[in-house]
Amino acid sequence: MALSKYDKDLLLDLYRTMLTSRRFDQELIRLLHDGKVGGFHHSGQGHEAIAAGICASLEDKDYLFYHHRGCNQQISKGISLEGIYADFLGRVDGTTGGLGSGIVHHVDPDKGILGQSGTIGESYILAAGVGYSIKYRGTDQVCVAFNGDGATAREVFHGGINWVGLYNLPVIYVIENNLLASSLHFQNSHSLKEGGSLADRADSYDVPSFVVDGNDVLAVYEVAKEAIARARNPKERRRCTLIEAMTYRYRGHFEGDSAEYMDKDVIEEWRENRDPLDNYRKKLLDSGTFNEKDLTKLEKEVDDTIKNAIAKAEASPIPGRDRIFEGLYA
Amino acid sequence: MMRKITMREALNEALFEEMERNKNTLCFGEDVGYIGGIFGVTRGLQEKFGKERVWDTPIAECTIVGAALGMAITGLVPIAEMQFADFMAVAFDEVHNKLGKWRYMHGGKFEVPVTLRLPIGISGGAGPEHSQSPQALFVHSQGLYVVIPSNPRDAKGLLKQAIRDPNPVLFFEHKKLYEVKGEVEEEEFLIPFGKAAVKKQGTDVTIVATALQVTTALEAAELLEKDNISVEVIDPRTLVPLDTDTIFESIKKTGRLVIVHEDPKRGGTGAEIAALVAEELLFDLEAPIKRVAGPDVPIAQNIHLEKYYVPSVEDIIEAVKETLD
Repeated sequence: MALSKYDKDLLLDLYRTMLTSRRFDQELIRLLHDGKVGGFHHSGQGHEAIAAGICASLEDKDYLFYHHRGCNQQISKGISLEGIYADFLGRVDGTTGGLGSGIVHHVDPDKGILGQSGTIGESYILAAGVGYSIKYRGTDQVCVAFNGDGATAREVFHGGINWVGLYNLPVIYVIENNLLASSLHFQNSHSLKEGGSLADRADSYDVPSFVVDGNDVLAVYEVAKEAIARARNPKERRRCTLIEAMTYRYRGHFEGDSAEYMDKDVIEEWRENRDPLDNYRKKLLDSGTFNEKDLTKLEKEVDDTIKNAIAKAEASPIPGRDRIFEGLYA
Repeated sequence: MMRKITMREALNEALFEEMERNKNTLCFGEDVGYIGGIFGVTRGLQEKFGKERVWDTPIAECTIVGAALGMAITGLVPIAEMQFADFMAVAFDEVHNKLGKWRYMHGGKFEVPVTLRLPIGISGGAGPEHSQSPQALFVHSQGLYVVIPSNPRDAKGLLKQAIRDPNPVLFFEHKKLYEVKGEVEEEEFLIPFGKAAVKKQGTDVTIVATALQVTTALEAAELLEKDNISVEVIDPRTLVPLDTDTIFESIKKTGRLVIVHEDPKRGGTGAEIAALVAEELLFDLEAPIKRVAGPDVPIAQNIHLEKYYVPSVEDIIEAVKETLD
């Protein structure tokens, strides 16, 4: 679709969201290298268009389960940047109130961000329960659960999608397929028909599915918009959807992973020719929708936002021993 | 007004009352809807409250527990049944890593009002994967409450409390108790967690027993009276939280402790109680602590062998007498 068909604010917001996600991650890795952040971080660089494109049609009332490579997803859903920086830095003003972020558990119920399961793929079944809850309460909310391609090998993928299909729940499963499950290559992780996709699996559950270029934010946006509208409408024959977004990651499974199992030329090819931000930026300029000055201004704003968020997070104190005994029971 | 009803009826009443009270309360699991559960505890609920609130799920334990968590953090009050508590092994990640930790690891920002109903116990040749009492595994978990009633009245009051509690509760129901009758008042009541019941007062030896073994311990205590041995029988009713005050108070009086449970001895529910008493009251003890528990082997599927797994009145009497030697 021609860019002129889109609302200009939306086009710019998509760029802002992707850029915020990218810059957030780059600065987080800098903090890691400075020794200020401990634990594991799974970088989502290269995946930004998927979360931005999906979440553009979600509202605060809608629910999100992000996954371990999920900062992009939380940022796209509107989580506080200083909140998640403070989590990574282990500060009391983090979204978890000082419990930190080695293997993420960022949270923001007001934005519908319900958290993350440390064991891969569990959101398939948690989202089924959330979908049942939405349907039972009769609201027009939607629950989106992000996972990687590796998680579809887990038992709970079947359990979750079977419920979602059986009860026709307003749930959208998003697979960020970066062709790697930790260090395991896609073809060694999944039994598929020749030329088949993970999305094909949804067919047998009568769950509508799409395979989309996960590095093209507008393509993702279009697919998600249709799926989300359908999920909101109780009269639809199928409210559930599985979206498989094809992408690639630029870094190892976690920071510190030497990623010897990845081919440097392949990474370079994706970076050079298929980067979701570079390509989208070029599209915005080539179409004449925005000029260099517009985008430079936005880029400066994003940088300032990130800088301020880090400064605020670093100003927050590190919790003491008492913190570990708080909040277990309600 | 008191009347005598079975534990099954008492549990069923609790479910009816709580579902009537809160329309966001749902009840689901394998076979719980149409037939009312293979042990009949959810009988009549689907008829009364409809298939949206009471339904038969696919055979998928991880999904039952995972979905219950998803419902609980978005405004519902799920009551899920594992057909046999043994199946908790299938859903171990969901129970041990998710239910008890979701609130904590997400900064205390959610309530998790999930009740899992869990039939336990040796009952008619069901073998090693349908007869266990796995509650000790979850006493070790964090963020869960572990409830284990021994009679109809406690079962009703504790289940109502479990459903209303904003935390995840594992509710263990001994299958042999379903048919047992006891007095339950018609008026509404709740039983708080962490409050043990002194089932019989005594001065010589303290017995701490759970579930079906409360009955066995009481029978043993009665026989011991004839030998002029005065036994105090305590039913903790909840293992987490554990009413150490009542247990410690009793041991300070008797100086002797026998712990009785059906689950295997090694790492069983009695191990924690024994350790706590050893830590706090060693010098109040007149004799070593005794545990009467299931043997550390799988439960054979031969009905003729089952009796060798269950602590008997004779086993308890022998253990009590040993503490007095």
